Amino acid sequence: MKRIIQKKVCLLGDFAVGKTSLTRKFVEGRFDDRYLSTIGIKISRKRLEMDTYTLNLLIWDLVGGANFSKSSAKHLHGAIAALIVCDLTRPETLDGYKFYAEQMRAVNPNAALIFAGNKSDLVDERLISDEKLQIISKQLNGSYLDTSAKTGFQVETAFHWMAEQIEI
Amino acid sequence: MTAPSSTPPSDSPPEMESIRAILFTHERARLHTLEEQAAILAQTDREQGERLRERAQALQAKIDALQQETEKQQTEAVALQSRLNQLRADITAESEALIPRLTKGMSSMIKETIQDSPDEMAEALGPVMGDAIRVQIRDSRDEMVDAIYPIILATVQKALAEFTRELQANIDMRLKSTFGAQNVFKLFSARLRGVPPSSLAIRQALSCTIQELFLIQHESGLLLAHHGYAEKANSDDSDLIGGMLTAIRDFARDSFGDGSDSDSLNEIQYGNERIIIQSSQYVYLAVVITGVEPEWFRARLHAFISDLHVQYAPSLRDYTGDPEDIPDLKPSLVALAATIGTQEDENPEPITRGQKMFLFGGGMITVLLLATACFYLQFTIALWPLAFGDPTFTPTAVPTNTPLPTETAVPTNTPTATTTSTPSSTPTYTPTTTPTHTPSPTPTATSTPTAIPADIITNSSVWVRNQPDINADTYTIIPKNTVVTILVQEDIWVKVEWTSWNGIEQGWIPTHWVTLPE
Repeated sequence: MKRIIQKKVCLLGDFAVGKTSLTRKFVEGRFDDRYLSTIGIKISRKRLEMDTYTLNLLIWDLVGGANFSKSSAKHLHGAIAALIVCDLTRPETLDGYKFYAEQMRAVNPNAALIFAGNKSDLVDERLISDEKLQIISKQLNGSYLDTSAKTGFQVETAFHWMAEQIEI
Repeated sequence: MTAPSSTPPSDSPPEMESIRAILFTHERARLHTLEEQAAILAQTDREQGERLRERAQALQAKIDALQQETEKQQTEAVALQSRLNQLRADITAESEALIPRLTKGMSSMIKETIQDSPDEMAEALGPVMGDAIRVQIRDSRDEMVDAIYPIILATVQKALAEFTRELQANIDMRLKSTFGAQNVFKLFSARLRGVPPSSLAIRQALSCTIQELFLIQHESGLLLAHHGYAEKANSDDSDLIGGMLTAIRDFARDSFGDGSDSDSLNEIQYGNERIIIQSSQYVYLAVVITGVEPEWFRARLHAFISDLHVQYAPSLRDYTGDPEDIPDLKPSLVALAATIGTQEDENPEPITRGQKMFLFGGGMITVLLLATACFYLQFTIALWPLAFGDPTFTPTAVPTNTPLPTETAVPTNTPTATTTSTPSSTPTYTPTTTPTHTPSPTPTATSTPTAIPADIITNSSVWVRNQPDINADTYTIIPKNTVVTILVQEDIWVKVEWTSWNGIEQGWIPTHWVTLPE
């Protein structure tokens, strides 16, 4: 029987970029979305079978935007990686990359960061170029990929990237 | 050509006629054409008028036919309406007639359905039962209360009886339990605080059941170990619950506390269950229980978690989710659960034979010691004057006697002497002292007044009168157990002197209100 390793990871991003939608379909969870609006957190689990162990990613979905407070930042403690999400149809959400990356690195300088541009299915409404996203992600020392919570495009990949970057 | 012939005859010469003919030929031809066209148009008009007339006639015929049809349909509608009314009346009559027949059969039908397919019946009625009850409660609350009361009462009685039985069993077991120093201390301590032993027994008998234990890292919310007793133990999702519990703790601390670590959530209650949280530096322990935890519960949790820190503090601090980085803590958790779950208070051991013997021996020794102490005390009291003299006697004998003779010498020392001579101790002592202090003048006078005043007390609160007469005025009350000195006696009255808040007072009271103390 493979040993089970649990790792805390955070899901960060501004309001309505689709963070919770990314976790809703593709992870296990028993808590309602209402927890996000009440205590600002919802925890889900993504189980990934690796070669020698089973990795349980405990995904702390933190409320974003203006509601991300000092106390929210406390919840980053113990997190080993973060998936930072922006909305490809809203350029202002790109500012969140830098903000959340800094918040995360302040708590854990070695945290693995995956940057996701969500809502890639809305091709006609896309307002952020791939080149720009790649450049910013590289500047913040992370990896970038397009995702779509609606179609499921690269959502699994995002979690796998995260798992691969976590040092066991 | 007909045109020239149509021109009017004129009296002009033929040349003119010829010129005229040449000049108007074209107009004549044009006029002729127009006349032809007019004739054609008139013909066309006639034909169209004919067609229109025919069409109008056809339409009129259709309208007439439609009118006839409408009239016919109206007639049919009226007939249908009357038939419908008739049918409605018939249905109403039939339904009214059917209701009593159906009512008779309905209950048996429902009964049969319930017997034949209870599950289907439950499925069918289930969704509306709640609403139906709610509506009924809204509309006729009192009736529903009356209807439900026996059921609720029986349920409550049953639950209460079970609880009482369990409590009684626990109390019985506790009464038979080991007689330990700790129990005695608890009892004594509770007694000091005004808690009766019965209440303490009830408090200790209240059961506490451990459901689950979570050992969670403070900051990260990562689960270090979990142990569940209950069937519904959240083994699969214990890691998620650990995280959410941490989030809720942080939320409570940030929302209601000052944000410091000292203000942490210690307990969460939901329904019959409670989560007792014992926190420490790196990890905290959350124990899900039902019932009332014993008083030592938290202390035990604290001791456990402190021991963990003493042993594994670096591992607890640096834990990042890999079980290889930390010793297996589940056995410790299971052991703790076993300790606090099957606590000594829950299953107290009965008193052993050895303990009974010890208790009996201890009791006997205590009785013997008390008897010896009493004997020694009595012996000491008896021999005390012989060994050390009587320090209390000398001051009372001499100074009180000397001023009194003026008052007591004359009246009645004899009766008082008889009363005071009864006590056994006074006569034995007086001979030894009186010869030394007052050898000559009045030995009787010295002995009687000394004994009387000091030892007489009132046996009840008594009215004091200014004369030895029942009709005399009362002016004060001597409280019960007041020491008085009898100055004079007349028949059933004595004049007494006593000390009150106002100083020394005198007055008459009946003799039966004063007695000598035993």
